[in-house]
Amino acid sequence: MNTIEIGVKINGDSKRWTIAPGDLLLDVLRREGYYGVKRGCESGECGACTVLLDGKAINSCVMFAAQADGCELLTIEGLAQGDTLDPIQEAFLERGAVQCGYCTPGMILSAKAFLAHQPNPTEDEVRDALAGNLCRCTGYLKPVEAVLAAAEACRRSARER
Amino acid sequence: MTMNSERSIVGKNFRKVDGVKLVTGRPAFTDDIHLPGMLIGKILPSPRAHARIKNIDASKAKALPGVHAVLTYRDVPRVPHTTAGQAWPEPSPKDTYLLDWKVRFVGDRVAAVAAESRAIAEEALRLIEVEYEDLPPVLEIEQAMAPGAPVIHDEPDSTGIHDAAHNVAGFILKEIGSVERGFREADHIFEREFRTQRQQHCSIEPHITISWLDPDNRLVIRSSTQVPFHARRQVAQILQIPLQRVHVVKPRIGGGFGGKQEMLLEDICGALALATRRPVKIEYTREEEFFMARSRHPQILRMKMGVKRDGTIVASQLTVLATTGAYGSHATTVQGNTGSKVLPLYRVPNMKFECHIVYTTAPVAGAFRGYGCPQGFLAQESLVDEIAHELKMDPIEFRRKNMIRLGDLDELSAELGEGRRGLPRRIRSCGLPECLERGAAAIDWERRRKAGPASNGHLRRGVGVACSMQGSGIAGIDWASALIKLNEDGSFHLLAGASDLGTGADTVLAQIVAETLGVSLDKITVTSGDTDFTPFDVGAYASSTTIISGGAVKKTAEKVRDQIVKLASKMLEVPPEELICRDNQVVAKSECGKAVTMADLAMHATYREKFQIIDSASHFNTDSPPPFCAQFADVEVDTETGEIRVLHLVTAVDCGVPINPRQAEGQVEGAVAQSLGYGFTEEMVLDGQGRMINPSFLDYKILSSKDMPKLTTILVETEEPLGPYGAKSIGEVAINTAAPAVLNAVFHATGVRFRKLPVRPEDVLRALGAKGDACA
Amino acid sequence: MFDHIQAFHRPRNIQEALRLIQDGGGGGRFLAGGTDLAVQADRSVRFLVDLSKLGLNYIRPSGSGWAIGATTTMAELEKSPAIRALANGILAKAAASCGTVQNRNMATLGGNLVNASPAADTATPLLALDAVVTFTDAQGQRTTALAGFFSGPHRTAAGGALLVEVEVPEPPAGARAGWSFRKLGRTQSDISLVNAAAGLGVGPDNCVQWVRIALGAVAPTPMRAANAEKLLAGRKLEPGVIDEAAAEVAREVRPISDIRASADYRRQMSGVLVKRALQECARQAECAL
Repeated sequence: MNTIEIGVKINGDSKRWTIAPGDLLLDVLRREGYYGVKRGCESGECGACTVLLDGKAINSCVMFAAQADGCELLTIEGLAQGDTLDPIQEAFLERGAVQCGYCTPGMILSAKAFLAHQPNPTEDEVRDALAGNLCRCTGYLKPVEAVLAAAEACRRSARER
Repeated sequence: MTMNSERSIVGKNFRKVDGVKLVTGRPAFTDDIHLPGMLIGKILPSPRAHARIKNIDASKAKALPGVHAVLTYRDVPRVPHTTAGQAWPEPSPKDTYLLDWKVRFVGDRVAAVAAESRAIAEEALRLIEVEYEDLPPVLEIEQAMAPGAPVIHDEPDSTGIHDAAHNVAGFILKEIGSVERGFREADHIFEREFRTQRQQHCSIEPHITISWLDPDNRLVIRSSTQVPFHARRQVAQILQIPLQRVHVVKPRIGGGFGGKQEMLLEDICGALALATRRPVKIEYTREEEFFMARSRHPQILRMKMGVKRDGTIVASQLTVLATTGAYGSHATTVQGNTGSKVLPLYRVPNMKFECHIVYTTAPVAGAFRGYGCPQGFLAQESLVDEIAHELKMDPIEFRRKNMIRLGDLDELSAELGEGRRGLPRRIRSCGLPECLERGAAAIDWERRRKAGPASNGHLRRGVGVACSMQGSGIAGIDWASALIKLNEDGSFHLLAGASDLGTGADTVLAQIVAETLGVSLDKITVTSGDTDFTPFDVGAYASSTTIISGGAVKKTAEKVRDQIVKLASKMLEVPPEELICRDNQVVAKSECGKAVTMADLAMHATYREKFQIIDSASHFNTDSPPPFCAQFADVEVDTETGEIRVLHLVTAVDCGVPINPRQAEGQVEGAVAQSLGYGFTEEMVLDGQGRMINPSFLDYKILSSKDMPKLTTILVETEEPLGPYGAKSIGEVAINTAAPAVLNAVFHATGVRFRKLPVRPEDVLRALGAKGDACA
Repeated sequence: MFDHIQAFHRPRNIQEALRLIQDGGGGGRFLAGGTDLAVQADRSVRFLVDLSKLGLNYIRPSGSGWAIGATTTMAELEKSPAIRALANGILAKAAASCGTVQNRNMATLGGNLVNASPAADTATPLLALDAVVTFTDAQGQRTTALAGFFSGPHRTAAGGALLVEVEVPEPPAGARAGWSFRKLGRTQSDISLVNAAAGLGVGPDNCVQWVRIALGAVAPTPMRAANAEKLLAGRKLEPGVIDEAAAEVAREVRPISDIRASADYRRQMSGVLVKRALQECARQAECAL
């Protein structure tokens, strides 16, 4: 079995991983202990495997790990700063937007990438940003409200600074 | 008992106790562990809908390097059982085998392998050589009972099948009064046929089980299951090992909705672990999940109602032909609900329910949120809407006139229990009138109905309503127990057998305990769903967790509180009846100012008294108080494309006292999404050979955030005497009538009725064309 | 899962990429975004040739039109000011409707076209815009109209060559013009069950000076509705004329029935979508109907 080596910066840490050429990014991430990245469909449809690659939300189940060589990755594990949660994480908790929690890491990361470029979104824009994260528990209302609330919280703290 | 207004924890929107773990992606789900030496298990699914295995040769597969076990029917015990997660003795037919020499649907188990990697396991499956003797498939419900139809369960050792020779898994016939007399008395009779499809749960986490032998040689099963205790019993029975030797652990679950009220992978995974003496993981791919898991029973429903000209319903009759697929899991109980939970919504002196549940060589149906009610309420709420229209009565007025009321006794429930005679249901709380009133206001019902359907070019607008009820636990059968112990720092450990499948059960139970003990929520640590460490609980189904498991934890907390108060009384020298637990203390009610903190008391108990304050209790109800729900839809129909756009979906629901209102709302909102999918986009489609042709999210469409209408959720509070702090349930009821409400709104908008799900735009267009209203 | 893939190459220039595929004996695949390749269970794939470092990710002026590199992503097309301004943004809109955010961040224009689904959303506006595609192989570079590029469902004229660029010529000049893109799906993020792109320009007398109508998911390949275009040429733009054109479209399409829709419904919706697209074009062209 051939192996290759890739280098990534993941959650701020530089890592070198030995992988098989056909390894999918999702498989490598979970193998390396990033259990917050979930397996839901393996076909790029449900978004449970969403991670940020150079700041963009992608489905790690339809990306070869080798494609991530030289890139920056952000998984859910990299979002909180110690015990301090990201405003999006706080908002999800506060708004009751988490039920089973399986789609939650992917959804939060999609929101993170989205709010970085759109700090003052409309509800429709938020729904569009989350459309790639399927959820069977919440009906999406509270997650959408949570993202809007997080956006508001970020705008408020930006004003206060 | 504290009054509503005095409660500080129950009824409040606390954050989920497992919330931080979930938003930070901590390892909490079944797959989030690393076990050295773990093997990957895979099941070889049958490519045929109906066949005998003439020969099966696993030698090449066994010889493949990295393969540790290959199991066929020759290697495992043959124990007839049901996979349904139900209390013993299970009412479902015992017609399933760990591995069999016959396959009965595309996806049925042929063999199982355990290998060192997924790739090797998949290669091993390809190397298993199977010679099938094809048998004719049975795919149409109506063909299953036809004379000469192939017999799907011709094996002699299955039991509990109503009439195997005619493929009838179950048969139900119940009557109250006499419908024949009722129809004679009626001024008008209406009769319609409805058809519903196979819907899949689509939990974002597919089924997954990991099994291994612990150092004491006990079989550990770590599984995404709603029913750890049933799974333990069934695995022990099927693998023929002592129940004592089986330990089932339920981690966080990524959704269940009834699909995991099933012992689906635990037996085969355990068998592979025993055969290899290594940890084995079986994890369904999304494709396998679609056709090798469970789904909602498709039904053909014939509903007939007789009414007086003033709108009083005098007779109602529901005749159902359902299929359970290849095995009878939940066959009689789901369909029993179609009668018992649906018909009694209206006070009708003459009711009849008749149902055949047949086998077909198709993917297996099982428990799915609503459990027979979505099918039944589609029929009833559509027919009632039609009757109201014909009688020129407002649909709400028609329902008010006939609907069940506080104090009523529902006798049909007595006729239809879970596989045996049930218990009559007394309505001790009923917020349905208020649900109708507040929901109607939220959708602007009066003005919209008075104005009639609105038109704007090719767009038509309308509003509709539909009502339902459910149950809260299975009377006389569902039960739960809990154990609470006091730690020396004044915190408590709650050990509950209950299964939190993402529903927030751990949080709700902790809130009930904290309220009862007079402590803050953060003083409760919850461990749940572990057959070694938590006391028995039937599991999460039938909307039982809040009322039954909640009842158990409340009783347990009361007993623990009694022990605390007894000790505090000794410590404070105040009579026990003068003491009250609140704010993490035990306080004297009078002004004497005597109090002891829970922490001090605990320390004292542990090291001075040398006594563990601990207790447990069990609980069940002999009744199943229904939650009530009224759903309203505001829709816009595009008469050129047939698209139905739901603009607003209002749910007004009486769940008793909501223990955590925000989580309760979340349950409603998710249920609405599933109901709308059921009505309009979701269907498992089989080809002529019984193969599912759309086993992926690409081709089986569940709703995304962009597909949802505006949602309004109204919690109507009542106090249910049988529920802890007045609670009933909310897990299922809101899935029953979002789609029927939309269809009734579509009728209002266009004058066209739909009685076959799912209703796709082309179905709407065709119907409008037939009516002469299509613009295309 | 993909243990049959033995090597992953990331060449720095196109010649190297071509050579790797050529020398691979049929076992190599060009890898753009990967969203199609990573889902296919094609066990004949032996190695991957990653295109991300070939400098094929660009949107730049070309003559009086635009040249789009083949590995430009759907998300980049969706957000590019130039593409949003081009032909009332029909290509940007089509790119924005391809799947979900996560798909669009990786899926490329080249990949979408080479995959050649009859429902490929970007193909429809590109056909309407008379786009040309350039591909290159050992024999050199050649350019062909997109119209001739698709030879059947999931079949193209590319052969083993590498698609490198899509060029969109400047749309016809004229102040009174309009463009529209529409699609229908079972849900909002679904693959199209029908999509349509239309553009037209009218003169001062409201007569159609030029018109383009393209559709996807209603024939073995994305198509132009040539008969409907001929029908409209030179006619005064009025509701009745639009209805005629829509009816002609419904006759021209050759849809199939599948899990998403029946052939009948697709046929009917071709007419409806084109009608609505033409109405929108008329509005933009300030042509009162």
